[in-house]
Amino acid sequence: MAKEMRKEIIELKEDVLKMAGLASNMLNDAVNALINTDIDLAESVKGNKEKLRKFDYEIEARALKTLTLYQPMAIDLRRIAAILKIITYLYRIGRYGKDIASVVKELTDTFTYSETTGIKHMWEHVSSLIEDAIESFDKAEITKIADFEERDDEVDQMRWSIFRETVSHMLEKPTHITHSAHFIMISRYLERCGDHACKIAEKVHYMVTGEHVEIS
Amino acid sequence: MINGKRNQKINGNQKEESNNKNKNDYVIRCQDINLWYDDNHALKDINMNIINNKITAIIGPSGCGKSTLIRVFNRMNDVIEGCRIKGDVIFDGKNIYGKNVDVRAVRSRIGMIFQKPNPFPMSVRDNITYGPRVHGLYDPKILDEIVEDCLKKAALWEEVKDRLKDSAIGLSGGQQQRLCIARALSIEPEVLLMDEPTSSLDPIATAKIEELCQELKKKYTVIIVTHNMQQAARISDYTGFMYLGEMIEFGRTEQIFENPHEELTENYITGRFG
Ligand SMILES: Nc1ncnc2c1ncn2[C@@H]1O[C@H](COP(=O)(O)OP(=O)(O)OP(=O)(O)O)[C@@H](O)[C@H]1O
Ligand SMILES: [Mg+2]
Repeated sequence: MAKEMRKEIIELKEDVLKMAGLASNMLNDAVNALINTDIDLAESVKGNKEKLRKFDYEIEARALKTLTLYQPMAIDLRRIAAILKIITYLYRIGRYGKDIASVVKELTDTFTYSETTGIKHMWEHVSSLIEDAIESFDKAEITKIADFEERDDEVDQMRWSIFRETVSHMLEKPTHITHSAHFIMISRYLERCGDHACKIAEKVHYMVTGEHVEIS
Repeated sequence: MINGKRNQKINGNQKEESNNKNKNDYVIRCQDINLWYDDNHALKDINMNIINNKITAIIGPSGCGKSTLIRVFNRMNDVIEGCRIKGDVIFDGKNIYGKNVDVRAVRSRIGMIFQKPNPFPMSVRDNITYGPRVHGLYDPKILDEIVEDCLKKAALWEEVKDRLKDSAIGLSGGQQQRLCIARALSIEPEVLLMDEPTSSLDPIATAKIEELCQELKKKYTVIIVTHNMQQAARISDYTGFMYLGEMIEFGRTEQIFENPHEELTENYITGRFG
């Protein structure tokens, strides 16, 4: 029984890692599509929506089944509890990727270099948060998430600086208002993705130590 | 920074709990209990406190000393030849292993339910009136009241109220076990010791006993030995994990099952043992 349960938990974990790969690819591709105005890439991100949803509910169903069949305890229980939350955060991250991809079409002609550098810089921070959160989950190790609070604060600051920059841009060029508004939205999505990475880190911390922490 | 550090390791001997519990909350306190069956050292330096009106579960692999430990609480080991015990068990302010202790009085205040239901081969009613009669109670009206009261407390009244004169042996296993609980209650104990009380019962009878435990703890203190970890997790407030005669870890049940501090406990409850 215990052996089968462990096999099941290992497979669950592998599924979560696959889902994490898909979700972060969706976000990364969306931002790349935006920066390079690559409409095809943006479309492919949108096409992954169903696959992401399928991961979400399949992993959830499987995790619940493992809970009922084996009634795991201690680390096994915490791992499954963490997985049940983490997939929700991953799902959101992937969905934000899709949301960003959806506006790429409307942003092809008018934007300037300085706007994308702000977004790109922010995205690099956010995606490294996501990567570290996933790696910590994979290795059941919490050293990489120790500085998440500070790193998340930096992301917040970037978001506000993009906000201020974009607002002054709007004042200068009212014709660019729609597209500037999109940029504000995108920076908001990225900031949310950073928050979700922190949420994942909280669950990893719980999984590893048994203790609940609040990051930021 | 992330706040919150992993709790400092505590060992089984309940340092954490004893810090924030009033002495009066403990119904039984074990101090440095060591027990031998001839030269088999079956209990090693057990220090634990049983908290009033709570359910305490004792878990651990076969042969680790669970039954031996709960038999310590009402001196049931006395009758075993070659059994020696050292240490104090403080119950109601007195060491039950002290001088001039009336063992019968101790056993009447600390009742015991065994793994296999063992009703006496007599009627349902007589099973329950037996104890009170031994204690000199003969008034049939009072005995009737005791019978009804105990059977109700044991959640058996509705099922047997029309067959009180029938032999207890004709009851189902689950009913027999609840009858044994009713019998134990008939002498108004303060503590109920249960040694794997549901291991010979089906899930429905088991569920009834488990519900009953929740009811009983309002009035009594329950100590239950179980091999079923889910059962311990479901019904108990505190759990002690034993291994090779030692109390490895003792704590709040949620903590033991969600986040055990000792690796041995973790290995045992996650099935990574041996
Ligand atoms: N009456 C006895 N006489 C001699 N040795 C005993 C007696 N009862 C128990 N022992 C020994 O004491 C040790 C602890 O036994 P105990 O019955 O307390 O274990 P347990 O945890 O209740 O096991 P189980 O889960 O199988 O019921 C074992 O080594 C056992 O062989
Ligand atoms: Mg036993």
